[in-house]
Amino acid sequence: MWSQIANGFMSGFQFIINCGPTVMLPIIITIVGLIFGLKISAAFKSGLTLGIGFAGIKLVLDFMTTNIGPAAKAMVERTHVQLNALDVGWGSIAAVTWASPIIAILIFVILLINIVLLILKATHTLDVDIWNYHHMAIVGIMVYFVTKNVFLAVGSVAVMAIITFKMSDWSQPMVEGFFKIPGVSLPTVSALSSLVIAVPLNWILDKIPLFRKSKFSIKDAQKYLGFFGDSMIMGLLIGLAIGIFAGYDLQKILQLGVSMSAVLVLIPKMTSMFMEGLMPISESAQKWSQKKFKGRKLFIGLDAAVIVGNPDVITTALIIIPLTIAMAVVLPGNRVLPFADLAVVPFRVAMVVALTNGNLLKNIVIGLAVTASLLWCGSATAPVLTAIAKSVGIKLSTGGSLLISSFAATSMIQSYIVYFCFTWHPEFCVPILIIIIALIWYYFDFNKHINKAAEAEEVALKSKNN
Amino acid sequence: MTKHILVACGNGIATSTVVATKIKEYLKENGIDADTTQTRLTEVSSKVANYDLLVTTGQFSGDTHGTPYVLGLSLLTGIGAEKTLADIKAALVNQEV
Repeated sequence: MWSQIANGFMSGFQFIINCGPTVMLPIIITIVGLIFGLKISAAFKSGLTLGIGFAGIKLVLDFMTTNIGPAAKAMVERTHVQLNALDVGWGSIAAVTWASPIIAILIFVILLINIVLLILKATHTLDVDIWNYHHMAIVGIMVYFVTKNVFLAVGSVAVMAIITFKMSDWSQPMVEGFFKIPGVSLPTVSALSSLVIAVPLNWILDKIPLFRKSKFSIKDAQKYLGFFGDSMIMGLLIGLAIGIFAGYDLQKILQLGVSMSAVLVLIPKMTSMFMEGLMPISESAQKWSQKKFKGRKLFIGLDAAVIVGNPDVITTALIIIPLTIAMAVVLPGNRVLPFADLAVVPFRVAMVVALTNGNLLKNIVIGLAVTASLLWCGSATAPVLTAIAKSVGIKLSTGGSLLISSFAATSMIQSYIVYFCFTWHPEFCVPILIIIIALIWYYFDFNKHINKAAEAEEVALKSKNN
Repeated sequence: MTKHILVACGNGIATSTVVATKIKEYLKENGIDADTTQTRLTEVSSKVANYDLLVTTGQFSGDTHGTPYVLGLSLLTGIGAEKTLADIKAALVNQEV
């Protein structure tokens, strides 16, 4: 009898998966919402909103690949620049992530890791920003897709979560010191990941007086380079350029320009549906956790969006954006054609700016090193990402030659390292990875006591309460 | 008359959705007719002139072209949220006169 029930359950599960993400998302998110204590009507509306968001992303991606796909192909054939992995943007990748059948498990793994670390006092960061869990979850989804092993997938997400929460702790003094936002840490992988490269590189650059003492600055960068920060204009320019390199006639060049401008403006609109749908769940998790951990001195985990408005961050990003396009063309081995994620370059450089205390020369050098890592890791993992996108029903109209990539997911060095260790001889790589994490953890927490201010406050709170 | 509020964050998606939703709920309860538009911080300067109020989730130091500006960070952390909402209301009501 039990096996019949199990069979029934499995075939029901299979039926839902076969319906595709637009049906599966509302069902799974409704269940997740109920577990977080939402009313059924609110939970269902959350789920349905995500389903609608996915349908929207699919529409825009389809429009994008039908337009830019043939043009990119023609450009590759004419110019022999091998950029066939189209950057479809982090929003599209997030949509694919939320549409995975194992997403519900991974969300609870991340939340559980956070709660356990908080109870053990191994982290100060309370991260209930459920939306940004997608950066950690995608690694598990990719590991699962390659290995078909749920335990490896869960393990990789757990490691991602631990690294993310610890890096949030360690970077919190920078967030408070440089951006003047107290009591907040930023467990957003898209910003933190750059530190993996930036911290050692910054240490090396500081040995060289030219970099350490640099007062290099660019006046009015925002005034003259501001259009690089405007999605509409960027989309238009890139569309026109690809049209020209593809050898299109004027009419088709203009059409491609406006279409690409439309894509860059529409993707965020569709992505915001996901945020809207997940908001009630995040709010409910926030209320629960703040009650649960009352009397503790915790950093509230926020989206790194709160720091990218800093003028030093914007200036650095506006300089890095055009250099990213140039680097994509000349970097050996790169296949990523930068496009949608040029809009989020500020996130990739934000923590670098805080680390160097706004030293623009160092920011540019480190920013370019980060960019190179994004392009290389993005090229290396584009085939897997493309296969996953296809498996959740995203059509890529140009056949086999076009791949998709982004500056998110495993293009980011932190995610790439974890993904690599869990897919390439994990029995050997995972223990090494864990030892390295443990050593770094020991160095920052027990040798440098990087969060001593927060620790002292917590002890003071405790003695007051007793 | 409907008030138009520009809500900006890093990508015009995540934190601005949270802040915009909270502002809309609060203003509705207080009988103020308002709609919100979300945008990215790098696009604020080119758009803000047409709005009655600018709210950002993180620090912003660009040109607001005379549009009143309120920092909305507290609506994310929950600490000091009441005061921020009151500031937003005050900024909108002041314009009536």
